Amino acid sequence: MRSDPGLRAAPRPPRALPPVPSAVQDDIPLSRPKKKKPRTKSTQASASSEGLTQTAVHRPSENSEPLTKEATEHPEASVQRRQKKTRLPLELETSLTHTKTSSPSLLPNENGINTEPDEEAVIQKPRRKTKKTRPAELQYANELGIEDDDIITDEQANPEQHSMFTAPTGTSQPVSKVFVEKSRRFQAANRSQLIKTTENIDVSMDMKPSWTTRHVALSVHRAFRMIGLFSHGLLAGCAVWNIVVIYVLAGDQLSNFSNLLQQYKTLAYPFQSLLYLLLALSTISAFDRIDFAKTSVAMQNFFALDPTALASFLHFTALILSLSQQMTSDRICLYTPPSVNGSLWAAGVEKQILQPWIVVNLVVTLLVALSWLFLSYRPGMDLSEELMFSSDVAEYPEQDKGIKVCS
Amino acid sequence: MLQTSNYSLVLSLQFLLLSYDLFVNSFSELLRMAPVIQLVLFIIQDIATLFNIIIIFLMFFNTFVFQAGLVSLLFHKFKGTIILTAVYLVLSIALHIWVMKLRWKSSKLFIWTDGLQTLFVFQRLAAVLYCYFYKRTAVRLGDPRFYQDSLWLRQEFSQVRR
Repeated sequence: MRSDPGLRAAPRPPRALPPVPSAVQDDIPLSRPKKKKPRTKSTQASASSEGLTQTAVHRPSENSEPLTKEATEHPEASVQRRQKKTRLPLELETSLTHTKTSSPSLLPNENGINTEPDEEAVIQKPRRKTKKTRPAELQYANELGIEDDDIITDEQANPEQHSMFTAPTGTSQPVSKVFVEKSRRFQAANRSQLIKTTENIDVSMDMKPSWTTRHVALSVHRAFRMIGLFSHGLLAGCAVWNIVVIYVLAGDQLSNFSNLLQQYKTLAYPFQSLLYLLLALSTISAFDRIDFAKTSVAMQNFFALDPTALASFLHFTALILSLSQQMTSDRICLYTPPSVNGSLWAAGVEKQILQPWIVVNLVVTLLVALSWLFLSYRPGMDLSEELMFSSDVAEYPEQDKGIKVCS
Repeated sequence: MLQTSNYSLVLSLQFLLLSYDLFVNSFSELLRMAPVIQLVLFIIQDIATLFNIIIIFLMFFNTFVFQAGLVSLLFHKFKGTIILTAVYLVLSIALHIWVMKLRWKSSKLFIWTDGLQTLFVFQRLAAVLYCYFYKRTAVRLGDPRFYQDSLWLRQEFSQVRR
């Protein structure tokens, strides 16, 4: 505790000395205790760290020795002293206002014995500084690309000043927070986080064009076109099979209607349902191909006898015809011989009902088979895709090329 | 901007509802072991159509075109879908009510009249057109141009105003 007054009073002497620039050698020891005295505070605060300081002792001693040499060899050092003197009062006012000013005891500084414990004490502050500040400095320097010289060289160039006053090093650090404008307000944000987030955004921006909603829409459209293509063939096949079965069951010259009804009644409704499902799918697919929603284009293609446009028309006609037979199909499904009470099939009515039904089925089959032929003539044609996404070509030239290559 | 994952999810839901609609339209006449089965199928079908209408309108509201106040442009582009969907919903409900009214006592009855047959044909045709237009609209709404300001949008708007 004895060192306290000495330590705290130490900064004062420079005030008395300014008018003597020639006493360079006297000043040197003066300057040394200045470094050490603030550090003795730290030793008192943490007296247990004596053993730890051995390695760090070199630093202040290394720093101090060249200083003396400089001071002796280069008289320019006196200029630095002057600068120091000018700085001192300001900083002392801030940092040492509460210290008791005692007589300027320069003696302990000049004594080599007294300085040794001070040197031990000196060690701690620089070490703390390095511990606290350097990792942060390096981090910022790495992340923000600030050159090391900008921050660290100040310390190394003026070791005397930094060893004495911590404030300048503190203020020269890059501020850890930056203020970013978010929703018309400036908000504090961490630099490192901000940099990371911006990097992430860059990455995501790079990733976005690879798979957009447009690509999802296109893939779905193409998947449905594939389903449609399949259903066209299946529908044509089913329709042909159906008409063959009907004609086989009806016998020669369509004479055996009762046999047809008895055999076919279980098949009538399932086939009607399947026919509607396939016809619906095929019609939607055919409309897709000619882009039916754009009526003018669709009509133009139809009058130009475009096979795809004709096929979609044939499909739609087949659909109407098929639906119109729903009542007859239900009647066939509920078939009971005319002899049974409550039968829907009176004697002699069979031919009247069944003949048009067979004809309609035949027509449906022909239409479906024809449209399948027309569609298979140009299976790759898809006006929807061309017209729906055509104007994107200008906006997405590269992507479109890629897609076309894929397709 | 519409997210790809969100759009995929919505599109899947729309297609699921459309598939259910197509399935009921195709096979509801087969699945008439009891009137209740058909009733449930029809109710779910109508709700599915209603859901599809809600979804497509939510997609409309999500577009930049709508948010910019160009509702007329949106209506002009998709009026076919909007009108057909509404017509189809009305036709479906009408047919379902009629069929269930006639079949409620016994599902094995022959209920067909010329009027019912006509309504049936129109409802099924509307179903196909609804499917086509709805699918087309859902796919078209995946176009990123609907979600950002662009020269294309301005040109479209000027065309509509003419």
